[in-house]
Amino acid sequence: MKPCEKIFTYAVLIFCAAVFALPMLVMISGSLQSPEQLARNPYSIPTTLRWSNYADAINSMPMLLYLSNTLLLCVGCVVGTTLSCSLVAYGLCKIDFRGRKLLMMSVLATMLLPWQIMMVPRFVLIREIGLYNSLWAIIGPTFLGDAFFIFLLRQFFVSIPESLLEAGQIDGLGHWGLFRRIVLPLSWPAITTVALFQFVQTWNDFGGPLLYLSDPDRFPLAYGLERFVSSYADQTHLLLAASVLFTVPIILLFFLAQKIFIEGIATTGVKG
Amino acid sequence: MVDRASQLRSSSSWVAGMAFTSPWLLGLVALFAWPFAASLYWSFCTFDIINPPRFVGVENYQRLAAEIASGRGAGKALMNTVYYALLSVPLSVVLGVLLAVVLSAQVRGQAFFRTIIFLPSVIPVVASSVLWIWMLDPDGGLMNLILGWFGVPPQNWLNQARPAVSIEGVAQIGGWLTGGPLLLMGSKDALVLMTLWGVGNFVVIYLAAISDIPATLYEAADIDGASGVRKLLHVTVPMLSPVIFFNLVMGLIRSVQTFTSIYVLSAGTGQPGESLMTVSLRLFTSAFADFEMGYASAIAWVMFVGLMFCTVLLFRTSKSWVHYRQ
Amino acid sequence: MKIISRKFVFSGGWVLGCAVVVFFLFQSYRHADRSDAAAAKGREEVVFWHFWGGEDRTIVDGIVDRFNDSQHQYFVRAIAMPGNNLQAKLFLAVAGGDPPDIVNQDDPVLADWAKRGVIQPLKNVAAAAEVDQVKQSLLAPARRLSVVDGALFAVCNGLDIRTLLYNQTAIDAAGLAVPQTIAQLDAIAEHFWPSVTDGPPPRLHSPVGYLPDSRRLWAWGPAFGADFYDPQTKQCKLDSAPVLAALKWMVGYSRRYGADNLASFGQGDQSLPGQTFPLLPVDDDAVVGRYVVIMDGQWRVRDVAAFQKRRADLGLPEVKFGACPLPVPTGGSEFNGRDANGQPQPQPQSQSQSPGRKDAGWVNGNFFVVPTGAKCPRGAWEFAKFWIGQSAFSDAESAADGYAQGGWIPVTREVAESATYRQYVTENPLMETFVRLASSPHQYPIPVVVGAALLKRAVENMTYDAMIKNNADDTDDKAIAALLKQRSAEVIRRLKVMQELTF
Repeated sequence: MKPCEKIFTYAVLIFCAAVFALPMLVMISGSLQSPEQLARNPYSIPTTLRWSNYADAINSMPMLLYLSNTLLLCVGCVVGTTLSCSLVAYGLCKIDFRGRKLLMMSVLATMLLPWQIMMVPRFVLIREIGLYNSLWAIIGPTFLGDAFFIFLLRQFFVSIPESLLEAGQIDGLGHWGLFRRIVLPLSWPAITTVALFQFVQTWNDFGGPLLYLSDPDRFPLAYGLERFVSSYADQTHLLLAASVLFTVPIILLFFLAQKIFIEGIATTGVKG
Repeated sequence: MVDRASQLRSSSSWVAGMAFTSPWLLGLVALFAWPFAASLYWSFCTFDIINPPRFVGVENYQRLAAEIASGRGAGKALMNTVYYALLSVPLSVVLGVLLAVVLSAQVRGQAFFRTIIFLPSVIPVVASSVLWIWMLDPDGGLMNLILGWFGVPPQNWLNQARPAVSIEGVAQIGGWLTGGPLLLMGSKDALVLMTLWGVGNFVVIYLAAISDIPATLYEAADIDGASGVRKLLHVTVPMLSPVIFFNLVMGLIRSVQTFTSIYVLSAGTGQPGESLMTVSLRLFTSAFADFEMGYASAIAWVMFVGLMFCTVLLFRTSKSWVHYRQ
Repeated sequence: MKIISRKFVFSGGWVLGCAVVVFFLFQSYRHADRSDAAAAKGREEVVFWHFWGGEDRTIVDGIVDRFNDSQHQYFVRAIAMPGNNLQAKLFLAVAGGDPPDIVNQDDPVLADWAKRGVIQPLKNVAAAAEVDQVKQSLLAPARRLSVVDGALFAVCNGLDIRTLLYNQTAIDAAGLAVPQTIAQLDAIAEHFWPSVTDGPPPRLHSPVGYLPDSRRLWAWGPAFGADFYDPQTKQCKLDSAPVLAALKWMVGYSRRYGADNLASFGQGDQSLPGQTFPLLPVDDDAVVGRYVVIMDGQWRVRDVAAFQKRRADLGLPEVKFGACPLPVPTGGSEFNGRDANGQPQPQPQSQSQSPGRKDAGWVNGNFFVVPTGAKCPRGAWEFAKFWIGQSAFSDAESAADGYAQGGWIPVTREVAESATYRQYVTENPLMETFVRLASSPHQYPIPVVVGAALLKRAVENMTYDAMIKNNADDTDDKAIAALLKQRSAEVIRRLKVMQELTF
């Protein structure tokens, strides 16, 4: 690259980064200011950091309770999704049976259905089986698979060489054995991707709790935070602190597993 | 070899296949097929969830048609959704591609810049909505402050129903240039802006696709003496077209289904002046605030058919501009 | 980009898993703890949902504790559900088969819930004589908020009254009068922010005399003499001369001061409790109050008191505030912009013949309902009676305690006139007007009919469209009349269909 080109590129990059980073920076700095500071001069770099905003935010809503609910949901959903989707993906990919193509098509087709069309009947279904106002209303469906994750895992399973499975078969393994001993150990990267995406998705999930949970003792963070927003609209410093607290784990997770995130998105499209 | 292997394994394969895929089979019936049929039936009923549904024929669809014709209620919601989709989808494609091109430049700190651009898309929607409500405050919000540096008067953002891209919006600009006030940006434009901030997801996809473009194409263009812009338009964009197409379809579906951000930004009301009452919020309100499940189902079905129609249309047109590599 | 080893991520997963287990144990322990508390005393648990947060929540918890201490049969467990859409939550809980025993609500949903069987008529819960006694004890606006087709379905427990809150100091300094007529209110608006004869209206500036909010046709309608509901025919009426007069008067403001200014005022400044209170200076002591007059509810009395205390602490001069009922039109003298010479122009006589009604306005309130399927309806009823001071376990004085603490407006005459509450009003003279209006016969809620929520939205959207969406230029009087006619026909037709489909 020519030097002038290089300077231009840097200028553009720095400009873009500034534009994208600015909201995040003011969010953090705003969360550390006193209400008076926020009212007068919110965008200066705070001189005194008011860490007590975070304590206040935690105390003004049952944040730990919400967190424990969120974590329960996340773990439940991650277990449900990884279990069901890997089984189904194996079935769709490594077992040759009649109707397989049809099932595969059904997986693809359901990805195009808007969730709104399912919203009312699913609610009625959840009510009928008595899961309303239970965390299982949100966890349960993940045990029945998710089209996107099935597709993602199938794409990965396809790349596992047949010869390996064949060798396993010669050793006397059935489908369960092949799945457990050969396919699963080889697929950790893909399964981790699924688990991560599901975790983030459940962490952020707002519609599920909005529809299915009525007891505030069962609210997860995303929903609890929204309630907080509507009742503490003038306490911007607390809202920002709560938002930062809610965001930090996801950001940390992203930095821990950057490669998995990026590759997952790049190879399969958008989710999460 | 492969054939023999699958034959070996296919001896009892039907049972095994069914066993392995049984979660999905159950899910397909319980979470898709039945809901699909039920909502179709209920769209011809009056149904409040508590009392049993009662068949009323096409009443819901008639109402929907009337509202769409008059441009209020669901009609208004439809217009809001169309505005949001028409603005946010193309803009996020253009911005996404441009950012990806810049971010693919081989410079020091590339990973850092990529991370910055990507991070906003990881921030949970509820949290980023809180942030944007604050930044878009007409009185002392960050956005208006920055606009002020460039001599742009403060905007009303989430307090204004009228969107920027409208006849009145053009009139506003005209008035401003001749010394009048400028109140351009409305609530939907704020929503578009927030969507664009989270474009990082798409950028990652474009980046992956750009890294797959063979360097020889650019070398050939260099020999022809092509400028940077020409290379972008004649090499990068055509090579990216399958991914752009994919993102167009996904972006369309996503924009029509956007719910959480709209719900948080408007506290579930779709205010000001119904300007944030999009189809998906309308649907939720009809179902779970007005308890007109039948009407909500009708809206959902019309939305589904509309979305399908647009997707098919996109696929049709894609043949003329999407270049698949052999 | 840097990758952290997979092993690290997995070990992180284990830590996370352990944390979850700990939390889960902690949580189940908490649950067990609480239900044990009620069970140990051998009482029936009454689950009570409300949406109060912040200061109010402490007061509510205090009332709950007092109730629990007052008797040994019931134990109320209060669950705070701050935020929006509580009405949806309750409906879903009833539909989902897991409803609470008593719910506090303030959305216009009573008739819908009653007709759809979401809540019980209170005659199913208590003896007819007892129900009737409670019904008779309620002040007229509170009764309107509690009754569907003559039957008591709710117990209103606090009224929300809107008055005009004004900055007395600013009005005095300008030599103006506290507004009793619409013309006087217009004069205040015009004094602090003179409208311009040509060119675009200026950007919102301080101070602002008065700006109407598009959501408040419900209040101005009755003040102009409108009835939104005819109890004889049980029908809503929107398209009437007084409503039109009120609407035209409101649109007049958007013509003079600019639709965009009104829009930002309505959505931003004058809003729910918790939002910045626009009568008070935000941070600059030189600017005393951005708005000289606004329409708002009794919860602002607390804000004003806090503000005055802060000024006193800082040694700043006192700023006086007052509250007055909505002014009324007197016919013919409404301000209608300025003529070419800059002289105020009155509205033509014929347009505002509607008689104004004093002490009129829009009333809303919080009310208790007992959902269908409640496990302890009797306990719910006792708690509701306790709250409003109609219970054997509480007299007017002890109920007044909660109202005084919360700055709420009582729903019975006994509590309003109790020594405790009078004491509170004496200490907070702004409350006087609110409390007086609570027994006015002309305070109307949104009609308690099936589809009331839709009706509310439709009227507010219509007013918004008339005031803000259309450009001020093209909303001539004919267009406003046509809009009102068309929209009201539409919504009334819709309400009829809804009513037919509900039964």
